Amino acid sequence: MSAAPAAGAPGGQPAPKSEREAQATREAVQQYESHYPSLQIRGFGDVDFSATDTKGATSGFNMGEFDLHIASALSRKVSFFAEVTFNAQPTGYNLEVERSFVRYDYNDHFKLSFGRFHTPIGYWNTAFHHGTWLQTTVDRPFMFMDGGTFTPIHMVGFLAEGSIPSGGLGLGYNIGVGNGRGSLIERPGDAGDVNNNRAWVAKLFARPAKPYGLELGGSFYRDKITLPAGPEYREWIAAAYLTWTKGAPEFLSEFENVNHRSISTNQVANSDAFYTQFGYRLPWFERPLKPYYRFEYTHMPLSEQVFAYQPRAESIAGIRWDISNFAAFKLEYQHLGSHPAQGGNPAQPAENAGFVQTAFTF
Amino acid sequence: MRHFLKLSATILAAILLLCVPRGNFTLAQSSREADIAVVVNADTPVTDLSLSEVRKIFLGDRQYWTTKLPVVLVMRAPVTRERDVVLRVIYQMSETQYSQYWVAKIYRSEVTAAPKIVYSDDTQYELVTAMPGAIAAVDGRNVHPGVKVLRVDGMLPGDRGYPLR
Repeated sequence: MSAAPAAGAPGGQPAPKSEREAQATREAVQQYESHYPSLQIRGFGDVDFSATDTKGATSGFNMGEFDLHIASALSRKVSFFAEVTFNAQPTGYNLEVERSFVRYDYNDHFKLSFGRFHTPIGYWNTAFHHGTWLQTTVDRPFMFMDGGTFTPIHMVGFLAEGSIPSGGLGLGYNIGVGNGRGSLIERPGDAGDVNNNRAWVAKLFARPAKPYGLELGGSFYRDKITLPAGPEYREWIAAAYLTWTKGAPEFLSEFENVNHRSISTNQVANSDAFYTQFGYRLPWFERPLKPYYRFEYTHMPLSEQVFAYQPRAESIAGIRWDISNFAAFKLEYQHLGSHPAQGGNPAQPAENAGFVQTAFTF
Repeated sequence: MRHFLKLSATILAAILLLCVPRGNFTLAQSSREADIAVVVNADTPVTDLSLSEVRKIFLGDRQYWTTKLPVVLVMRAPVTRERDVVLRVIYQMSETQYSQYWVAKIYRSEVTAAPKIVYSDDTQYELVTAMPGAIAAVDGRNVHPGVKVLRVDGMLPGDRGYPLR
C-alpha cells in the first residue's frame, strides 16, 4: 500500500484569495465548530382517522402521539438523549418520558448509557421508537405495541453497546442490566425495582458490508416478574430478526418467544409471536409511493399466567405516500382474526378496520 | 384503416416512451469524467479504505478514527456533483432517503448530529484542513493542498476502476 498524496492532485490549483475572502472563510469555519452543550430538538406527530366494523366501536379522528426527541452533545464523548411523548386521553394528555439517558462514548466498540432506554430486544423496538413517520405502517406490530405487555419496551439501568471488529461481517452488540418489568408489567420500574432481581438483555447483530442493507440479529432477555397479587415468575425472552431496509424492496421479519415459569408451581408457558412485513418503493415520480403488507401471528397457551390471553392473527395492507421529505400519508386496511389454533377466541371476534394517517417530523 | 394505423402508432409510441429508462438527469450525467476524491485532515491516521469502510464512515456507523479522534463528516449541499456521487455510490440513496436516514439515525440516538453541510469548496477545504478527523468528498481534478487524499479500494482518483465517479 503506497502512501496517498498529502496535497493537491494534478490539475488546477486554487486561485489566491484576498484577505477579506480568507477572513470570511475562517468565520464560516468557526460557525461549524462544535459547541457544548449543543441542544437539538426534533418533533414527530401524526393525525389519524379510523373506522371499524366492530359492533359498538365508533369511527372518527384522533390525535396520535406527539413526540419530542432531544439530543445534546455535552462534550466530544458525552451525549444526552431524551424522548417525551404526549398521548391524547379523554380527560387531557398523558405525558411520558419514553427515553432519558446519558451516554459516554469511549470509541466505536464501547459506548455506555445510563438511564431509561428502549430494551434492545429484536429490531423494531430500537429502530422505530415512537415516531410513526419513521415506520412504513400506521401502527407497530402487536408484539411491540407501546403500552403492551408481550415485550418489555423500556428498561431502566445501563446499556453497553458497540461494534465488534469483524471486517465485512459488521457485528455489533448491546448488553444491558436494569430493573426489568415493574409490578405493572408494561412499565419498567422507573421509581425502583419491584424485586431484588435485576433483568439483563444481550443482543448480537450483523450488518454485513455485502449485501449492503441487510441486518440480522438475535437477543436474550432474562427477568424475574413479581405481579401485584404476589405470584412470581422467571421470564426468558428469545428473539431473532432479519431485515432488509433499502426500501425497494423492504423486508422485516421478527420472531419472539416468551417463556414464563412460575417460581411456586414450576408451571411453564411459552408464548410466541412473529411478524413479516414487505414493502416496495415504486420506481415512479421520484419514488414517493410504497405499498406494503404485514402478517402478524401471536400464539398464547391457555396456561399463560402473566399475559392477558390475547392470541391473534392479523393482516394489514396499505400504501404510504411520502408527500415531502418529512411528511407522509398512509392508507391501511387491517383484518384481525381470532387465533385459529385455539379454535377461535370468542372474546375477540374477527374484525376489519381502515386507517388513514398523516405522519410527519418537524 | 388509416385511423387504426394512427391509433396503433400512437399506442406504440406511448409504450416506447414508457419503456425508455427514466433515471433522474443529474449533474453526474453532465460531467461523468471527474472522479470524486475522498479527502481527510492531514493528521488523520489513514491512507487507504475499502469502499465498504468509506460507506460505514459516511453512514455514521464508524464514528472514531482512533479512541481520541472522532470522525467529522462534511457534506456538500444538494445539487453538487460531489454530493450526487456520494449519494449514488456510497449511500445508494435519493436525497429524500438521505434526509430521512439522518433524521432516523439521530432519533435512534446513534449520533447527535447529521453531517456538517457546506455550501462552497473553500469552506469545505477550510473545514477539512482545520478540523482533526474531518472527511469529505471533493472534485478529484482540483484537490487543494493541505488535505490527504485517500485511496479507495487501493485506487486514487483517475485510476482505472476507481469506484467514486
